[in-house]
Amino acid sequence: MSHTRYRVQEAGAPRPFPPEAMARIEKILKRYPTKQAALLPVLWVAQETWGWVSKESAEEVARLLGLPVSHVDGVLTFYTMYNLRPVGKHLLQFCTSISCHLAGAGRLVARCEKRLGIGLEETTADGKFTLLEVECIAGCDRAPSMMINDAYHEPMDEKKLDDLLDRLGRES
Amino acid sequence: MDPVLTARIAKPGSRGIDGYVADGGYGAWKKVLSEGWTPERLTEEVKKSGLRGRGGAGFPTGVKWGFIPKDTKGKPVYLLCNADESEPGTFKDRLLMEKDPHQVVEGVILSAYAIKCRDAYIYIRGEFYDGARILEAAVAEAYAQGFLGEKILGSAYSLDLTVHRGAGAYICGEETGLIESLEGKRGQPRIKPPFPAVSGVFGAPTIVNNVETLACVVHIVNRGAEWFAKIGRNEKNTGPKLYCLSGQVNRPGVYEAALGLQLKDLIFGDAYGGGMKDGRKVKAVIPGGASANMLTAAEIEDCPLDFDGVAAKGSMLGSAAIIVMNEDTCIVDAARNLSKFFSHESCGQCTPCREGTPWLHKVLDRIEEGAGRPEDIALLERICNQMANGMTICVFADAAIAGPLSSVKKFADEYRHHVENKRCLVGPRAEAAAVTV
Amino acid sequence: MSANPEPPKAPAPPPPPAKDTFTVIFDGRPVEVPKNLNLIDAAKLAGVEIPHFCYHPRLSVVGQCRMCLVEIEGMPKIQAACTTPLKDGLSVKTTTEKVRSSRAATMEFLLINHPLDCPICDQAGECTLQDNSFGYGQQLSEYDEAKRQYPTFDRTPIGPNVIADMTRCIQCTRCIRFCQEIAGTSELTFLDRGGRTLVWTHDGGPLANEWSACAADVCPVGALTVRQFRFRSRVWYLQKTPSICPGCNIGCNNSIEARENVVYRFLPRLNPDVNDYWLCDHGRFLSESLNLRDVSKATWREAGAVRDLPVPAAVDRIAAEIRGAIETKGAASIFFLGSAHLSNEENFLLRKLADHLACPNRDVVVDRGKPRKIKSQKGWITGEEAAPNFRGAREMGLTPGRGGYGLEAVLSGKSAPDVVIAADAEFGAAADDPAAVAALRKAKFLAVAARRSNALTRAADVVLPAASLAEKDGTFTNLQGRAQKFERAFLSKPPVRAHWELLLLLAAALGWGDPDWTPAELRARIAEEVPGYGDRPESELDGGRLLKKGDFAWKGAL
Repeated sequence: MSHTRYRVQEAGAPRPFPPEAMARIEKILKRYPTKQAALLPVLWVAQETWGWVSKESAEEVARLLGLPVSHVDGVLTFYTMYNLRPVGKHLLQFCTSISCHLAGAGRLVARCEKRLGIGLEETTADGKFTLLEVECIAGCDRAPSMMINDAYHEPMDEKKLDDLLDRLGRES
Repeated sequence: MDPVLTARIAKPGSRGIDGYVADGGYGAWKKVLSEGWTPERLTEEVKKSGLRGRGGAGFPTGVKWGFIPKDTKGKPVYLLCNADESEPGTFKDRLLMEKDPHQVVEGVILSAYAIKCRDAYIYIRGEFYDGARILEAAVAEAYAQGFLGEKILGSAYSLDLTVHRGAGAYICGEETGLIESLEGKRGQPRIKPPFPAVSGVFGAPTIVNNVETLACVVHIVNRGAEWFAKIGRNEKNTGPKLYCLSGQVNRPGVYEAALGLQLKDLIFGDAYGGGMKDGRKVKAVIPGGASANMLTAAEIEDCPLDFDGVAAKGSMLGSAAIIVMNEDTCIVDAARNLSKFFSHESCGQCTPCREGTPWLHKVLDRIEEGAGRPEDIALLERICNQMANGMTICVFADAAIAGPLSSVKKFADEYRHHVENKRCLVGPRAEAAAVTV
Repeated sequence: MSANPEPPKAPAPPPPPAKDTFTVIFDGRPVEVPKNLNLIDAAKLAGVEIPHFCYHPRLSVVGQCRMCLVEIEGMPKIQAACTTPLKDGLSVKTTTEKVRSSRAATMEFLLINHPLDCPICDQAGECTLQDNSFGYGQQLSEYDEAKRQYPTFDRTPIGPNVIADMTRCIQCTRCIRFCQEIAGTSELTFLDRGGRTLVWTHDGGPLANEWSACAADVCPVGALTVRQFRFRSRVWYLQKTPSICPGCNIGCNNSIEARENVVYRFLPRLNPDVNDYWLCDHGRFLSESLNLRDVSKATWREAGAVRDLPVPAAVDRIAAEIRGAIETKGAASIFFLGSAHLSNEENFLLRKLADHLACPNRDVVVDRGKPRKIKSQKGWITGEEAAPNFRGAREMGLTPGRGGYGLEAVLSGKSAPDVVIAADAEFGAAADDPAAVAALRKAKFLAVAARRSNALTRAADVVLPAASLAEKDGTFTNLQGRAQKFERAFLSKPPVRAHWELLLLLAAALGWGDPDWTPAELRARIAEEVPGYGDRPESELDGGRLLKKGDFAWKGAL
């Protein structure tokens, strides 16, 4: 995968966390002896609040935790699950690691690309789907495994994939 | 062997605390407290059981606990449960956490007690949304019933447990990468020494144990070290073990058996994999996840799946992820896939790994795509040999070369076929027209 | 049986003083080294070179570049020297085949993605990658894939003073650690991971701390270079001369890097007690100002016209004015103004000349500057004066003598000298202040030595062409009281002379001194006459060791 995670400067979501997110952050901070240790959980709160982590969100997280914003960027771009730009309503994550690869994950990805008319790391024009390849998601016994947002769909095959894309595509 | 770790997973409502307690759950914890076990006694029991870490390295768990300094100079001791299960081919911890989370929580509590830990964390990989939710619910239930928190069950012992989610990085399964990540940093493994038991998370003595390892502790306390030590092939390889079987077999899945199960039994046994899919032949088996050397069909004869048995075959048990490839699998394609994984997951701090993993992937890619050259085979070996054995801070690079290097040595003919004929020997691409370069 | 009383126990001998060194064996040769050293530095002390990129003596140890590989007896695997704790009896092998091949492997990995653009890279000639490639690499590479590039991160300013070419970066993190650990500003970070790892700032924001060019200094390759120096000279044409930064009274040790009478840049010299490995941007970029000159001849103003004249004639003219004033009004009608920008030797000469003439009116002033900070090995030092040598000038005696007056009295009009001798036309902001210059101009005769014209030179009767810092020798005394030598990088172009030469000429014209005195001889006189200057160690005078960009001094310097 040649996609890089450098740019985090797209126009962002509003800065302050809503009160319910702040309440979660307060609770998180109580669980750790340092504020820095709360960074991954707080970035998750940001992502769950806005769907992705904007430059402005990174700055706000840095301010809340008293960290250099460069540190937040370093962490944000190291971990692949933080979205650095808005993603579609349905984040299609195909596992292409060895067991899923042996089970034909590559064909599923190709089929998905063709059906949606997008490449990896891209989002459909209607904002419904974003397509990703991911590394092993521990679904090897039900290969090929995939996740849509936070839910597993396994084992996947071409028929099931077609049905899924049809169904999700029809949803308003 | 009757299932131990997986005894409850098929039960309806296996996740809830009521069912767990009804099945005798938290009995080990109550036993330790009511019988007044000291942490030292618990550690001793685990030492006697012969339990070796189930995460991959196979280090004796009780011995590891014993590395915590007697005098911690006022610093707290931390227990980190490694639930970052990311090794390709591995899916046993996911099962334990999703289906019997209290077994994991109880294992964490017991082990925390043994090392006098006040704050423990379960570091769970970000992709396990369900696993994290289920564990969080289990932890909340355990607090509510007084198994966690202040002065547990009227004892002087207090313990807090937090579920901490990762966010997509294989290297955080390496214990110092995990520690860095928990501290809110990039998961770049640390220089050792100091070892975590002396200076780990937040600069304090720290023990990192795998999910399955901790689950074993529950049963060691319940049934005794002697019982545990009797399970398994020999006194160095004891206890029940979860095997993750995947690839081209009839019934992939998690199978529990005594440590030392024969690899062929796992693949072909009726109680296990049930043989090769479509009756194809075995070509190669990865016995311990993507980090382990491949074994040939000949090498899987008489291969006990335990730490020493697989090591004797020149590979490793690792996380007991057995990935089976049949005769139609293009070995170069498989190696390319493995190298893609490691290229994607290298943390990037050490030169040989940062530069070597993508290079390996590029060379394998061009061989697979029919653009390889005869000298590429020697080149592959050379790149691999230049990356490992002390060339880097952690053993990620050693893991990254396992698949490519073992395959190029053991399936040299197939590689040669690729570079000479510009196409695969077997598999879907075997008949494809030669690529002109 | 009477037991023999036990002989009184001799008091236990005091335990031998704890050894503060370890015996480390380098390639079979035992060497005593201080306990607190990193193995790389210990080897350096022993004269053993261990190549490295990411290790820097003042930055945390990260062990990432994997260049400093050695064999350690008892360890089966190759080890990074920088992360190997020193201990007594440690046996290190640096010349085995395994060491050689391991280092060559690291070099190969570093070079596969490194552009071979040395011909147009500013780092060429002081590049650690080049040096280590020469010493430890191999000639051929089998890598023929496309090299990694960072297209939008090349030839890009990453701050006001630093240009980034990230395609050249070897991910050693020295710059990141400099900004975190020394500057404390943390502008830089690793982004992404693996082979895609990039060093950059948040949102492309500027690397703009007060020492930003040091991030380029610590860069072992041409990934970060100093904007002002880019494409100006090949470094091997530059001559390094030890000098002292003129930017404030900290007196950071630097080197003037010059070629054919042009100053190209300053680099820090390593002095742990003063500036350690660092220079602030303010001081560093004063280098260019040394090249500025618009006073290159002696001039004489008469009846509204300005004429050129030979320097000796101009000096004679000044001497004549001084003698005239003494004859008519006495020495008290003369005012000598030294400068915090001039050396101790020069200020000393001026004061001695005043003494010789029995003139008590002498002074030196300094402007308060923006506080400048530098991190010595012992901690932060702050300089608040805008000149390097106010303390030294005062200690040379440039304060009003008994019954004499100083600059303030002259500027306020309280005192009105007939002759004003300003040894340095750039003695302070007052020299460009119309009111102050008008006050000085009230004298019947005003003489100055200058390199650049200003309000004061335009008002003066005689202007002597004086050398820049690069064109003379001397010492400055910094805020710690440390007298530090600067050396001449190149000769001034005649008729320009060093201030001390001009002062010696003037003294000779007035019947004092010896025109053959050198700064070294003047320093010997200072040592005899000025309290506190008698026993300055030579090492303190010489100051820090020369450095090159991207690396640090080799033998003996830690």
